[in-house]
Amino acid sequence: MNLLFTALLLLAPASAQTAFPERIRKVIETNAALPNGSYQTIAAKLYLHRDPQWCSRRLEELLESPSGDMFWMFPVTAVAYLDRGQLTPSARNALRQSWKTYMPFRGDTENHWLMYYVSLYLMSQLYPDQPGDTWYTGKSSSENFREAEEYLLHWMKLTTTIGQGEYDCTHYIGVYLLPLSYLAAWSEDPKMRLRAQRMLDWIIADYAIENLDGIYIGAHARTDDIQVLEKWNGVSSDFGWLLFGLGYPLPGFSYYALFYSVASAYQPPEVIRQIATDRSRPYLHRELKRTRNRWRFTDVRNAPVYKTTYMHHDYAVGSDQGGILQPIQQHSWDVTWALDDPRGKRNTIFSMHPYSSTYELQMYFTAMPDFVTEAVVRSKKTYDSPDKFLGGSPYEQILQDQDTVIALYDIPPGTRFPHINGFFPDNLTHFEEHPSGWIFAQGGNAFIAYRPLAPYEWKPVPGGGRRLLSPHLHNGTILQAASASEFPDFEAFRRAILALPLHFQLDPVPGVRFRSLRGHDLRFTYGQPRDFSQWKLFDSPYLQSAPGGRLLTVTHGNDHYTIDLRELLP
Amino acid sequence: MFWLNCLRIFALATLTLSAQTHRVFLCGATSKGYVVGAKLPPSGLFTLTARETWDHLSYNHPFLSSLDYDRRDPRILYLAAGNGCIRSSDSGRTWRILTSWNVTELQDVAVDPHHPGTLFIALPDGIAASTDDGRTWRHTDTGISRKFTKTIRVDRAIEGRLLAGTELGIFLTTDNAAHWSRAAGAPEMITAIEQSPHQPAEWLAATQSSGLYRSGDNGSSWQPVSAIPAGPTLYKIAYDPRQPRRLAVCGWGPGVLISDDNGRTFTPRNTGLPSTQVWSVAFHPDHPGRLYASVHEEAVFVSEDAGLHWSRHGMEGSIIQGFFFVPEARR
Repeated sequence: MNLLFTALLLLAPASAQTAFPERIRKVIETNAALPNGSYQTIAAKLYLHRDPQWCSRRLEELLESPSGDMFWMFPVTAVAYLDRGQLTPSARNALRQSWKTYMPFRGDTENHWLMYYVSLYLMSQLYPDQPGDTWYTGKSSSENFREAEEYLLHWMKLTTTIGQGEYDCTHYIGVYLLPLSYLAAWSEDPKMRLRAQRMLDWIIADYAIENLDGIYIGAHARTDDIQVLEKWNGVSSDFGWLLFGLGYPLPGFSYYALFYSVASAYQPPEVIRQIATDRSRPYLHRELKRTRNRWRFTDVRNAPVYKTTYMHHDYAVGSDQGGILQPIQQHSWDVTWALDDPRGKRNTIFSMHPYSSTYELQMYFTAMPDFVTEAVVRSKKTYDSPDKFLGGSPYEQILQDQDTVIALYDIPPGTRFPHINGFFPDNLTHFEEHPSGWIFAQGGNAFIAYRPLAPYEWKPVPGGGRRLLSPHLHNGTILQAASASEFPDFEAFRRAILALPLHFQLDPVPGVRFRSLRGHDLRFTYGQPRDFSQWKLFDSPYLQSAPGGRLLTVTHGNDHYTIDLRELLP
Repeated sequence: MFWLNCLRIFALATLTLSAQTHRVFLCGATSKGYVVGAKLPPSGLFTLTARETWDHLSYNHPFLSSLDYDRRDPRILYLAAGNGCIRSSDSGRTWRILTSWNVTELQDVAVDPHHPGTLFIALPDGIAASTDDGRTWRHTDTGISRKFTKTIRVDRAIEGRLLAGTELGIFLTTDNAAHWSRAAGAPEMITAIEQSPHQPAEWLAATQSSGLYRSGDNGSSWQPVSAIPAGPTLYKIAYDPRQPRRLAVCGWGPGVLISDDNGRTFTPRNTGLPSTQVWSVAFHPDHPGRLYASVHEEAVFVSEDAGLHWSRHGMEGSIIQGFFFVPEARR
């Protein structure tokens, strides 16, 4: 009967209508059936109480040559907790010994450290009262536990007071959710379990309000070369589907979704699900985040990041204020539209400056200059490419007002890549380069008007789409989006845009005066002072949180929920 | 006369028996092909064996930048690592991480020869010190703005005096790091500082783009060394402990530069090296003229004639952050 159930689950389409427990089960069953014999398969099988002999044998094989640092720690931690007497003494001993004989590197990012310290916390808890010579740290179980606990409390407090540093990551959201899922399931301290649940609520709510049918939209601290264009194609879509039944998960599911599922498999409260799924009314949402640790060239360790997101049923427009807020993989602004099935499709438009510099890398990394770019390119292959669509720039400044974006560029002569790139997919319903200078397009049910402020040419993009290449140091983009439902037809939208007063100059610095489609008179000049003093951690009809508060109020209709960590964090 | 010769022989034998020998360590990574999260080739701490091979000690670790030793017992090593400050009490075989979550990516470590149990670590966000063999730590960088600190040295001749190489220049303290002030004339982005083993008032500093600087007044003020132009990154400085006027500097582009006139002039000594991208150099204190160099992702090279001729000496595909010579522990 179990086999039949499994077969049915695996063969059934990943329907959005599947209930949460069934989605969890599907993720686990799929991973249990994988032929590759990885830690995730072991974890899934142990969860299901299947093939413990195989699990033990395979675990010992894998532990002969541990590698992966913090990416090794969390799978092994899950296996340790899913053991529950199923592993052989030999396999259990091999697992324990590996925490003495292998020293994982702690890493240099916020997600690395969360994986590292949650794993160390839980393993020290599992093996309490053991001396330092039984751990790779040289510290005793209690010392390891105390250090890990201190860091976790520090991180939670930082996130809920000045904002997350590695915020809204399309891939690394998985690496934040799974360790918290672990803590919520396996911490023996009820306060820590509660903290973990509330942090899950916090991060899930953050995602919920910025998802469009499961696609993580808006500005990101980190995304990647694939998902910056094909907005569905990443780990965040797994969690949109898993948590809320939205959109489509990745084929076979990410292993982050697996490890989330075999731990607490935490289901967020109904009010957060409503926020994630209700797109009946447009809304504006603002967030305060922080940069990654800046080691050089600044007096501010973590500068503020100001995010704006406009959400509509048919599209979303999101941005940050511009600048280098994160190294390498930052994504600052775009319009993304909804599609019935976004898989394999590129459903976004934006512009950016492809910045590459040891200045950026030495700001955020402790490396020396001569090798650092090459070292980065070894894993982030497009970093030093003029054609890239990923990354922030110190020469980009962005203003967003509802679904209008003005992005301005003042690129100094001699900059490595003295141009801006714009991305347009090749599946637009309408596409027109109007003599006025506006580019009109339709994606899904979104009407889009894009106004380049300097001359440009088109280049093809591998995989589909075209790159707007504008090789002018003083530059800019105006974007105005609207829903097709607002206009009788596309022509009416075009006429409405053309009627909007627009004045701009590029010299001596770029500046724009534009009346938006929403009737707002926008004035934005590169370098002008901006007032962000009223910015909150979260500010929208659905989420409210003041800086420093450790308190997030979640509201949808008559439903209210408070994520309160004030008493839980020192 | 007979008895005088006996006395001479006895004196020479005593001197020979008491001559300090050193164990050679290096901190480095086999970096070719490595990215964070992948399987790490042998990296971390290595020691030179009697067979002239490099023996990997203890754990694999991708970021080990420096080490120093306890002057009371040279078997006790302190390592500046990505995971924190690491202590070994058996010449590197077993490790204990001393620091906690609030310390990361150590750039350098320096043991205070004047105060047993005191050590300092250079950090991306300043300087921390311990006065109890690393059990507890406190940040101690008051006066240093833009805290990134690449290197730190304790003046071996003047108690309480330290120099730190930071983003904004060289900072000096005379009260055991309680307060720091900027030394005059030093440029920004310091990569290395070394004190002359022959003239303790003399120091040299290497920089990321401003060339080489010298101080003749215990680090209070600095002047550029005209023999090395500004531009390329200089990474390490090495005084020859056996030749008072010889020193080596290395960098990315210049390769290995040798001076035999205390820095008035420098000569490239790169013939035989596969490239001039050199991370570190050091003279062996026990062998006259023996010079080690780390060529970027090539190997360690060794010369027996101060760089005139080089031969490959293991650690293929590596980046070596430094060579260190620790006195052999006396029985």
